[in-house]
Amino acid sequence: MTVDIPAILEQLAQSHRRRGSDAGVATMTIVVFFDNEAIGELARDRIRMLSSKHPSRVIVLDATAPETAHHIEGGDWIDVGVRGCGPEMLRSAVDALRLRDAPVVLLWIARDIGSDPRFAALCDEAATVVYNSSLLDGGHDALRELARHVERHPGLEIADIAYLRLAPWQESIALLFDGTALPELADVRSVEVACGSEPEALYLLGWLASRLDWTPGEGGDLRDRTGHSIAFALERASEPRRIARVVLRSSRSTFVAELDDGGETIALSVSGPNAREARHRTIQNPGIAALVERAILWAGDDRVFRAALGAAGTILARRAR
Amino acid sequence: MADETIATVKPGTDGAAANPLRAGLAADRITSPCSVVFFGASGDLFKRMLLPAIYSMRLRGTLPTDFALVGFARTPFDDAGFREYCRQQLDLFMPDGKKPEGAMWDDFARRISYIAADFKETRDFVALKERLEQNDRELGTGGNHLFYLSTPPPVFPEIIKQLKAAGLDKDPTGWTRIVVEKPFGTDLASARTLQAAIEAVFPEREIYRIDHYLGKEPVQDIIALRFANTIFEPIWNRNYVASVQITSAESLGVEERGGYYDHAGALRDMIQNHVINLLALVAMEAPISSDADDIRTEKYKVLSAIAPPVHADVWSMSARGQYGAGTIDGRAVKAYRQEQDVAPDSNTETFAAIKLYVENWRWAGVPFFLRSGKRLPRKVAEIAVTFKPIPHRFYGDSTDRIEPNVLVIKIEPDEGISMRFEAKVPGPKDHVRSVYMDFNYGTGFGVQSPPAYERLIGDAMLGDQTLFTRWDAVERAWEVVTPILEVWQNTKDFSFPNYAAGSQGPESAKQLFADWRHL
Repeated sequence: MTVDIPAILEQLAQSHRRRGSDAGVATMTIVVFFDNEAIGELARDRIRMLSSKHPSRVIVLDATAPETAHHIEGGDWIDVGVRGCGPEMLRSAVDALRLRDAPVVLLWIARDIGSDPRFAALCDEAATVVYNSSLLDGGHDALRELARHVERHPGLEIADIAYLRLAPWQESIALLFDGTALPELADVRSVEVACGSEPEALYLLGWLASRLDWTPGEGGDLRDRTGHSIAFALERASEPRRIARVVLRSSRSTFVAELDDGGETIALSVSGPNAREARHRTIQNPGIAALVERAILWAGDDRVFRAALGAAGTILARRAR
Repeated sequence: MADETIATVKPGTDGAAANPLRAGLAADRITSPCSVVFFGASGDLFKRMLLPAIYSMRLRGTLPTDFALVGFARTPFDDAGFREYCRQQLDLFMPDGKKPEGAMWDDFARRISYIAADFKETRDFVALKERLEQNDRELGTGGNHLFYLSTPPPVFPEIIKQLKAAGLDKDPTGWTRIVVEKPFGTDLASARTLQAAIEAVFPEREIYRIDHYLGKEPVQDIIALRFANTIFEPIWNRNYVASVQITSAESLGVEERGGYYDHAGALRDMIQNHVINLLALVAMEAPISSDADDIRTEKYKVLSAIAPPVHADVWSMSARGQYGAGTIDGRAVKAYRQEQDVAPDSNTETFAAIKLYVENWRWAGVPFFLRSGKRLPRKVAEIAVTFKPIPHRFYGDSTDRIEPNVLVIKIEPDEGISMRFEAKVPGPKDHVRSVYMDFNYGTGFGVQSPPAYERLIGDAMLGDQTLFTRWDAVERAWEVVTPILEVWQNTKDFSFPNYAAGSQGPESAKQLFADWRHL
């Protein structure tokens, strides 16, 4: 199966000539790969939002459309059918169509990572890879596979949208322990996370574990540095990809971060010796375009993410035993 | 399971113990808990700019959760009345029509309080102290206090004196900072007097002299353009640059500010602060780090390399103007002297242009043209760096004019960078013509830059003084313009009004810029 690259390049040149003297500014080439028809339009829509903010060449690799289907939009949007194309064909197409001097960002919207040779081929072309472990799978298989892959490829610059979505929750939980409540962080005895899908909940748990040096215990719990047990419970609640509530209990206090009814703020409350009036933080649900942007700008060398992913992977591996 | 490198978190800059959950959460700039006191909270600046900036920060999540706003002004409000006033003003002035409502507003509103006060009454400042202590106890503001002076400048010294008298100049548990709005003095002597009053109470590290121009994204981009690229810096000097022109033009007149403006004029209102600050950013040497004082030291060094004109040279190095009646955007507008609160025989300039030289190794001989004016054809703020012409011409038709390259940093209303260069016109003949390579923030990054006040208030809360002007630079800027002010003040200009509203300014300014080819 081959993609007619010369025909696409000619169409692209014609499009540029038609656009006349429009000044061009480009920050990157965005390569989007998907193999699920249901996700195609959503992916295109979100990438349009992203590329309107960060002017880019966009190469959409649509594995649900035949390789004879391609079209150019607005000068720098190239939509190519790649159904049946092998990894080398994909890599070659991206190499021919990308902007020469701008970095390539790969958005991989497909279930398989390590087991799909097309992923490895496209990673070779990309400076940054953006994945979304909770888009196609409400369970934890994608997260487990991502953790394994990153462990095997430590040099891969990769970000997971599911993790980036946690930012307001991480900030809120950190805020609960600022100031006089800080010593209680070393005394947390249980964690409950209510979430609409597993990857986000596992990431949050992995993040806490990696930050606080918790390791999986033999009884399905976690253990802190001193060997104390920390019970954890993950509860399905709310819409997919949204966290509804996080509760941390120490031996003296309960710390709660909970989505309010309108879904726009997180209410923070503390009961116990450090009890205080409820506070609110904006949640600012960022769209997928904003999260991809964040992935591109900040996730390149995010060691906190890698540590959280590693911890989540370890917890999953222990649970699978 | 912890990564040792990242699990070890340094203590916070404010001395707080390290919270290991905070590692890596630096993507958003979150400030430490604090109370912000707005002196002059019933005024125009507060309702139009400062309050919307603070609430936008709240909505963006960049305001600390443990935050309190205290209004301090003469207008009689109680807490509930001031909250309602704030809600009404946000309804009117929030950008993008974002309304104060829901849980977010409720939480914000309960953190707002007000002290109806006389700035001369120590007991009102004692009441302020009690309110701040209450905020620290009940709203978790941690003894951190930011005092924002948004009153008319003559009140500043009294407020500062009273802050000291009430024991508000420092807090044993947190930080204390003071934001001082411009203008910082009305001349060199008054600026020094104001500085003496402030530094008697607050050390320089706690003083934030605000110039909202410095919070604009394209102004900050000057540093990125110069020092995050390698292609500009090698030619950013007298060997390649012919001139630099910094323009801040407005199509508006003095509107309701006639009373203030008639005592200020364009030189004091714009050139001495905004425009000279831009000059410093364009001309400074590379700082050794991004530390606020390293950058501000380089800015000061540039200003100290400018020789203020001697009185005898003022007329050859400056031009002034005052607008008469004219037409802008097809609308007839009245003359400056007919504006509200302006003297009918006013000698105040509404247009100022000056030529300065930075006398150092990099810039010797390169003129810096600074100009600012009201009732010019359009609002524009930009910095144009004009490069020297080609040394030898062999290409192009003899009738072609080969223009010098010009790099323009656009600050407003467009935000971006454009570059003019020569290119061959397609065809068998060797014609050349100028083309413009244009980068616009709006279309380039597809987003509006955050308002300058949001950035600057956030920086003050963070304790980052980079975008605030240090006293030595303020003083030096006054020293540079003082001879011009003195000559202008002592010489009645009988040609006023000397430019029509909607024109490019007075003829004398065109003479001053005669050698500058970007016009």
